[in-house]
Amino acid sequence: MDAVQISHVTKTFGAVTAVDDLSLTVPEGSVYGFIGPNGSGKTTTMRMISSIFYPDRGDIRVFGKQMLGARSELIGYLPEERGLYKKMAVQPMLEFYGELRSGRKVTAEVEGWLKRLDLAKWASHKVQELSKGMSQKVQFIATVVPAPKLLILDEPFSGLDPVSADAIQSAILDLRRGGVTVILSTHDMQVAEHMCDYICMIFRGKKVLDGTLASIQNQYGNDTIRVAAAGGMQFLDGLPDVERVRDLGQVQELRMARGCDPQQVLRTLIARTRVSSFSIMKPSLHDIFVRIAGPEAAEEQIA
Amino acid sequence: MHSDLHRIFLIAKRDYLATIRTKAFIIGLVVAPLLFGGGFLGVALMVNKPDIKERRIALVDATGVVAAAVIQAAQERSAKDLFDKTTHRQLQPRYVFETLAPAADPKLQRLELSERIRHEQLFAFVEIGPTVLNGVLQAAPQTADDSKPGPVATYTNAGGFDEASRWLSTSVNEGIQRVRLVQLGVGPDRLAGVLADVKVDRFGLLSRDPKTGEIHDAGKKNEVAEFAVPFGIMLLLGMIVMVGSSPMLSAVTEDKAQRLVEMLLGLVTPFELMMGKVLGALGTSLTSSAFYIIGGTLALYGMGLSGMVPFAVFPWFYVYLIADVVFLCSFAAALGAGCGSPQDAQQLAILLLAPIMIPYFLITFVIQQPNGAISTGLSLFPPFTPMLMLLRQAMPSGGVPAWQPWVGLAGVLVFTLIMVVAAARIFRVAILMQGKNAKMADLVRWAVRG
Repeated sequence: MDAVQISHVTKTFGAVTAVDDLSLTVPEGSVYGFIGPNGSGKTTTMRMISSIFYPDRGDIRVFGKQMLGARSELIGYLPEERGLYKKMAVQPMLEFYGELRSGRKVTAEVEGWLKRLDLAKWASHKVQELSKGMSQKVQFIATVVPAPKLLILDEPFSGLDPVSADAIQSAILDLRRGGVTVILSTHDMQVAEHMCDYICMIFRGKKVLDGTLASIQNQYGNDTIRVAAAGGMQFLDGLPDVERVRDLGQVQELRMARGCDPQQVLRTLIARTRVSSFSIMKPSLHDIFVRIAGPEAAEEQIA
Repeated sequence: MHSDLHRIFLIAKRDYLATIRTKAFIIGLVVAPLLFGGGFLGVALMVNKPDIKERRIALVDATGVVAAAVIQAAQERSAKDLFDKTTHRQLQPRYVFETLAPAADPKLQRLELSERIRHEQLFAFVEIGPTVLNGVLQAAPQTADDSKPGPVATYTNAGGFDEASRWLSTSVNEGIQRVRLVQLGVGPDRLAGVLADVKVDRFGLLSRDPKTGEIHDAGKKNEVAEFAVPFGIMLLLGMIVMVGSSPMLSAVTEDKAQRLVEMLLGLVTPFELMMGKVLGALGTSLTSSAFYIIGGTLALYGMGLSGMVPFAVFPWFYVYLIADVVFLCSFAAALGAGCGSPQDAQQLAILLLAPIMIPYFLITFVIQQPNGAISTGLSLFPPFTPMLMLLRQAMPSGGVPAWQPWVGLAGVLVFTLIMVVAAARIFRVAILMQGKNAKMADLVRWAVRG
């Protein structure tokens, strides 16, 4: 069964169409990632799945049921903007959120999660005494207690240090292994590539990509060369049939035009400088994102 | 899926406990009545510390006989009222009179006396005209033009409600009456008896015991109970409602500003969130009211004034309290949801205070005419019903027809229901708006269409 089915959903705010005729399905037990520029409609879509917003048109089903504004203990929603009762102690606040979701006492689950995320000693402290990273872990616990079957996480790693991000990433993947379906949005393309079974890119309210990472990359083929050469960018100008060069610092990515011969590119490069690494590959998610939503794409649309 | 009511209860419980555990709530329990009652306390203190500075008054007597009578009347009145009979504390200023004959140029004389008043050498001067005694056997002539002085005119720069001016007016009239009585042949030795005040006692109505047929005597009216009890219970209702509901406005905008709202809306519907917050505030108000009602009742019992406790209106007090808090808190939640920041919300606080403050301004009018058409109409206007109907019901002699509180209550309940529905619609749409204020037209549109 699909965890979420969205069919031809449109949501407008005044004159702005935030989500435009969107359809997608989220398979149960998967990690489904939303990517897209700011203001593209990711948060609005997640709010509609959570029944915080109602679609103007279309249909949303969660585990086969229309939500119609009702709240369900099956869904855990982590908003992008973090909101905790600053003057409440950590554990009572988490128990409050958990009981709101499930209708029962969740003391044991809260204690388990506090231990798991190394927050047990902070249980009786007020939220306002926590660091930002600890607050975000607490907010994550508030989302996953007691045991939702669908997690909707809007930018779950935003602002987290690597250690906290790893802890939450590990927790998310553990939940997925336990059968929980996860929908998350992220601006970190590496997170999307590494964590998500399916990736959906929304741009200007419309779905522009949807599928596994491999299927998305296959749409573009092996049109990318990653090269490490002495002198870097200064020797990469004017390479034959190379549309765009992206400087990543120690390496550079070259986007080949259709019909480009990579061997010819390599020969030209060797003639110019010493090449220590040269690989032909599919485009990264980052590159695909920029191709769709970057300034060049905008210029092409205007043209 | 657990019940909506359970979620509402959980939010109400959290908000309630968060409020009553704060120092601000505990301090507010004590401070609020001091603030609200502070004005009355101030008046009471001022009554206990009257201005007893000596007052010098010039009498310009054109009759040649009235001034002496006025002075005598004033002295006799002073002798009665100057000191408290129990404590012997001076209650009023001493009045010292000087008598002047009218000058050839009355205007110049008035100007000179006015200058003496400006230099605080005099408190006032009184011109007693030659025609003042003409009305003994016929109606006293009335001046056609109110701006021109009549037979007796007092000139002073004291305020319009100055007690000394009222006292002086009484003394002047009594002096004139004495002269008139003498002219009518009443001997000076009988004047005090003729002019003596007669105490008029006030009673309520008699009633018949429906079982025994026995006629019960009417109880003597207690002026304190007539005014203080209805006034006090209305003041209490307004204070509790205001203290309970006004924080809702800033609480909602702060929850918005702290981004708590979206987290909560992932767990509860906007209606559940709003009603939870409203019921939390209601719990706070009921706690405050229990504190004041029990404390006030015990205090009255302790002072031996148990008869003043208006037990009969307590059920109405609580019905009105609940309706008023629910209505105003819903209204505040809707307004708060439409505001971009707590500062913006403060500017709308006046809208919330109106249903409490306007009845306060009407207290004197309603107490004077509790069953007049305007008092009745105002007390049946739903936003004012809780305050004004309670005021009328709490008056021992209010005589509010039995149907009126029920009709008023029905109006309040319907009005509250409409307000809750409209507020919930506004709240649902506006609560996730960030960074801008909803316009009044938007609020009305959302309230009507949802």
